[in-house]
Amino acid sequence: MSWKKYILTFAITATIFGTAFYVASQIDAQRVADIRTTEDNISIDILSTETQFELLGNLDCQEISDNPVLSEELNSLAGRLSVAESNLGDNNTEVIALKKQYSLLEIKDYLLMKQISTKCHLKPVYILYFYSNAGDCPDCSRAGEVLTYLRQQYPDLRVYSFDYNLDLSALKTLTSLSAIKDELPAFIINGRQPVYGFKTLDEMQTLIPELKTLATSTSAVK
Amino acid sequence: MDIGSIGIYICLFLALYFEVFLLISFLEKRPDARSTKRPSRYPSVSILVPCFNEERTVASTINSLLALDYPKKKLEIVVIDDGSTDGTRAIAESFTKNPRVKYFYKKNGGKYTALNFGIAHSTGDIIGCLDADSFAAPDALLEMVKRFESDPTIMACTPVMKVYKPRTMLELMQAVEYTFGIFYKKMFDNLSALNVLPGPFSMYRRAVFDQIGIFHHAHNTEDMEIAFRMQSYGLKIANAHTAFVYTTVPKTIRALIKQRTRWSQGFLQNSRDYYYMYLNPRFGHFGMLVLPIGLTAFFAGIYTAGYSLYHLLSFLITRALDLFTTHIPLHLPVVQHFNWLYVNVNTLTFLIFFMIGMTFIAVLLGSRISETRLTVKSYISYFLFFGLIAPLWLVQAAWGALLARESSWR
Repeated sequence: MSWKKYILTFAITATIFGTAFYVASQIDAQRVADIRTTEDNISIDILSTETQFELLGNLDCQEISDNPVLSEELNSLAGRLSVAESNLGDNNTEVIALKKQYSLLEIKDYLLMKQISTKCHLKPVYILYFYSNAGDCPDCSRAGEVLTYLRQQYPDLRVYSFDYNLDLSALKTLTSLSAIKDELPAFIINGRQPVYGFKTLDEMQTLIPELKTLATSTSAVK
Repeated sequence: MDIGSIGIYICLFLALYFEVFLLISFLEKRPDARSTKRPSRYPSVSILVPCFNEERTVASTINSLLALDYPKKKLEIVVIDDGSTDGTRAIAESFTKNPRVKYFYKKNGGKYTALNFGIAHSTGDIIGCLDADSFAAPDALLEMVKRFESDPTIMACTPVMKVYKPRTMLELMQAVEYTFGIFYKKMFDNLSALNVLPGPFSMYRRAVFDQIGIFHHAHNTEDMEIAFRMQSYGLKIANAHTAFVYTTVPKTIRALIKQRTRWSQGFLQNSRDYYYMYLNPRFGHFGMLVLPIGLTAFFAGIYTAGYSLYHLLSFLITRALDLFTTHIPLHLPVVQHFNWLYVNVNTLTFLIFFMIGMTFIAVLLGSRISETRLTVKSYISYFLFFGLIAPLWLVQAAWGALLARESSWR
């Protein structure tokens, strides 16, 4: 009996497996590269808006409110990051680096939004959402779903989500300034006192009466 | 990667290994095209038709045998009525006016007893069987005889089995499955590792029974056991890919599960009886590939189905609970900024697609070998339903084998 065919078959099957792993890793690498490019672009945009704001002062609020800050792009980035995170694992160093940069961009966007709002007398509705995916927050995924749904319903609602356990000094400063305890999920709604624990959709809507001032999405299913 | 998905990777590796092995065998030795050449001599042939309450199909079966292109004097048809209680007797007896048809009625004792009765009451050098739910193509016997003639060491031969007039989704699904079977049986022939001599139109040289004995009860799968026994004696089994036989297949899921449970349980129980052939190079590819892969496929099927069911159920339950506890109304997911790069594909997705592709190629080759035309609806039925139904009989067969319970025929 010849063993040659058994060995050849093993080699071919292993090659097929190797190819599948290679192609998947190439796609993952492309995703990471795409996320990095998007983050760089957002970073440039934020810097540009900041610079524009500093140049104009509060003289031309119309110009700035016509070109709102980048929550839309940040939101699309969140979805891409979660795909990369689910494929590469949340311990992957590249994923962590991208998440850190993403969180920094969120904080920058949040600060800029506050500055612009004060000077231009805008009343944005925003939520700072702190979660953990380290397995110690069983309610976080459901809380995330409520926020995602609210975002779909109210496209102008700004949701800034932060991984509480991310080792990022700027984020640590934000949590300590906002006096966020490690009772997750935690929400800060329009700069008010933190709210802790899972909230249903109805409870969340009650907590954000300002939602009534926002336009609803026409595509959303009511 | 969780432990559960490592199991799935192992199952996929083995399944791909098996398919690659068969494709290499195909490239090494492609099946010959059909030829119009006639055999140089016509051995005497006895075809046994064991039947039990087959009044609906027995006449067509006998008619298909009478219509066989073969010298009349060289062919005898032996109908063995295994104690039918319906109209089978009257129908079969009406054929005895034809001198080529012999009819025997015996007390019910099971299919293997009917076959053994037929062997004892027949005279042919070659003994064939045809279940009373199957019909042979007119040239099927000639093609079988030609295959025997091509190699004097061939001691038994199987035909190509096709589904008789498939119409419903379930029958179409089985038509694709049978076509896949046509491919791998031909490849098993290349490897001298055929593992079953199915009831419809398999043929044996009489010397086989003289050498290794007659049919056994064999957990209601005497056609599988005799192939195992022949392999254990080193007797060659071949496949005649140009001899077509049409068989009626179960029309309900319940009947299909019952039939396949019997086959699968028979495989497990015969495997236990012939355990010494497993991974034993003395028995060639039969011991080294066909048996181990068959057993692995059995448990891999159960494992994959269990794993998928667990994930599907936990997903659905989590979704339902989430909707219930969050009070979010039921809605379709909103896809913003669609980008192909973020369609959630990974290594497993590629391997599954590759696996489906390889299976598709195997079915296509099977349909080419057997000149079978399969419709798109057949492929859809197969790829949609087979994976859902097969685990049911696998689990039932494993359970039956564990309890050493007798599988049932009907």
